[in-house]
Amino acid sequence: MLEYSIVAGILFGVFFGFMALGLNLIFGVMQVVNLAHGDFVVLGGYLAVIAYSAGHINPVVSLVGAFVLFFLIAFALYFPVIPRLTRSKDPEMLSLILFFGLSQIIEALDVIGFGNNPRSLPLAIMGAAPWHFLGQSYQMAWVITAIVSLVMIGATYLFLYYTRIGYAARAIMGSREEAAASGLPVAQTSAIIFGVGIGLAAMAGVLSPFMIGSIDPSTGLGLTTIAFAIVVIGSLGNPLGSVLGGLVYGVSVMLMQTYFSSWSDLVPYLLLLIIVLAKPSGLLGKGVRNA
Amino acid sequence: MNSRKHSAMIVGLSAAMLAGTLAGCGTSTSAAPPTKNISDITIGTLYAGSGAFATSSLPEYDGLKFWASQADKSGGVFVKALHKKVPIKIVAYNDQSSVTTATSLYSQLISVNHVNVLVADFGSVLTSVAVPVAEENKMVLFDQSGTGTTFFTPNNPYIVLTSLPNSGLWPDSLAQYLIGQHYSRVAILYDTNDFDQSQEQTLVSKLKAAGITPVYNSGVPTSTSSYSVLLNNISHANPQAVIEFGYPNNDISFLQALKASGAQYKMVFTIFPGQLPTLFTTSDGPSSINNIYTYPAPPLISHAHVNYGMNSSQFMAGYQQAMGHSANFLNIAGYNTGLIIQKTLETANSLSQLSLRHAVSRFSGTIETLDGKFQINSEGAQTGETLPVGKLTTNSAGKVSVDLVTPLS
Repeated sequence: MLEYSIVAGILFGVFFGFMALGLNLIFGVMQVVNLAHGDFVVLGGYLAVIAYSAGHINPVVSLVGAFVLFFLIAFALYFPVIPRLTRSKDPEMLSLILFFGLSQIIEALDVIGFGNNPRSLPLAIMGAAPWHFLGQSYQMAWVITAIVSLVMIGATYLFLYYTRIGYAARAIMGSREEAAASGLPVAQTSAIIFGVGIGLAAMAGVLSPFMIGSIDPSTGLGLTTIAFAIVVIGSLGNPLGSVLGGLVYGVSVMLMQTYFSSWSDLVPYLLLLIIVLAKPSGLLGKGVRNA
Repeated sequence: MNSRKHSAMIVGLSAAMLAGTLAGCGTSTSAAPPTKNISDITIGTLYAGSGAFATSSLPEYDGLKFWASQADKSGGVFVKALHKKVPIKIVAYNDQSSVTTATSLYSQLISVNHVNVLVADFGSVLTSVAVPVAEENKMVLFDQSGTGTTFFTPNNPYIVLTSLPNSGLWPDSLAQYLIGQHYSRVAILYDTNDFDQSQEQTLVSKLKAAGITPVYNSGVPTSTSSYSVLLNNISHANPQAVIEFGYPNNDISFLQALKASGAQYKMVFTIFPGQLPTLFTTSDGPSSINNIYTYPAPPLISHAHVNYGMNSSQFMAGYQQAMGHSANFLNIAGYNTGLIIQKTLETANSLSQLSLRHAVSRFSGTIETLDGKFQINSEGAQTGETLPVGKLTTNSAGKVSVDLVTPLS
């Protein structure tokens, strides 16, 4: 049971690391906390469900559509909202309030548009036969979801480290003022990163029915809480920290389900508490963020 | 002589105290509202327009509204205390699945809206806050589906469970079936809330009484959505029967994970496929509930001896026509609550809350609705309806049918 919990926890954690990646990117570049992050994940989930039920479009294909659609939506949302926030004295606090409002609006629109019933996708889309590893059987949907998540995490890494926009984004993560003084296009880079962050959230949403069973309009808040815990565990503002935070979260949840199942929903809060007390800068700390 | 005097004094004192208590009750509760000016009966209730309970709360509320519209079509319901038919008016607020919001809104219905009849929102969580508010304000709470065993106590006359039996009674037929099938290896996975935990306790005690100790028995938070590791842990216990007590979202995720795991058991039981089959077939396809054991409820099963209100087929047709979509069990539960309120008003001699409560006790056991026999015990808990166990079968078109494996009372 221990081996199964650890392997399942890694698969689960890779997905949740990917799910939190967009939140961390946006915070790292803009210093705003997107409390509507989970609601964008849910919107991505609805897109996948509708695409599959209406046109039998495989969710792996929907990933591309979700990214493009939500990148454009976020890009359009950026200019009237984010520059005002980043110019304010306390962008973190103001962003909490603003995105909380946005979260409520999205949830209400979800109810109007999709109803309150939980929606899901048949797991068999990703393969009916389980994956056998070390004498244990794992759901194929989990394995494929984790692989797709890993690929997307890798793509984000390449984007950040091997493209001009990625260089600029990392420079802004280090110091917004110095990046601006060096002539980097801060506003355009931030807008693109905001689009990428929301686009990644929607992509994670497309995969979410395979990991969390079903989605409904109220799912977003819980996902935001988990994503927030993951980025704090890894390191707020460091995208690679999300991956580490996701793995810690995933393995902890699965071990807790095996040995203390009644307490498993305490995992994100317990980890958050431990990290804040023991290493407030997160597991990867500030040094890596600025490297 | 002294002892006789002493006894007489105690009896006298007790009688005085009892009279005082009753008088106290009378001043605040039994005083009937002035009847001359009553132009309608106001029913106050809450619904969850969003949040975790919206899926179940809204259909139940729709069922209640359907009942009110049907009653008003015929000029209202007969109110014995007024000797005439009076229209029904529903006052409803959206609690958004929040117990904090629900607490203040229940109080608002009583103290601001001065409703004649108070109806709880769906389920044990949102009913749990209504119970103390109703008791404190000495209002009878018509509890639609809050079946938690802790709501019903000998000292609280202000609650009536209308549409489902007390959750502690739900697993009676399930335990009977498991014991009858000689399943000695039973695994139980339950959510840690009043509704599911009370079922787990009943099932475990009944199995233990038959000499069966579950090979796996574990609680998980109600928010659980990932069942892969839990199912793997269950498989290590090598059970013949796997019982999962959860809410609809839990059941959907559990059955999905079970199918994906490829594990096979002689019997798998979950609660809600029998109440909301369409929700399951649309979520994960018809095969997700094929061969699953459950508590089948109307309209999947129908009660033959309905002597009050519409029968199952009349309801399904009427509801479809009025609301534009087919009905599920929760619509029936809401409609059934309306029927119980209707019978209460037809029976009560006055509109005081204690008179309403006494009226319910008077007709308890005499009516059978499309939801089954309505019978309550002295604490207001429903005991007439029993939930049989059935095995679901589905075809590729999504048609769901059920074979009862325990008798329908």
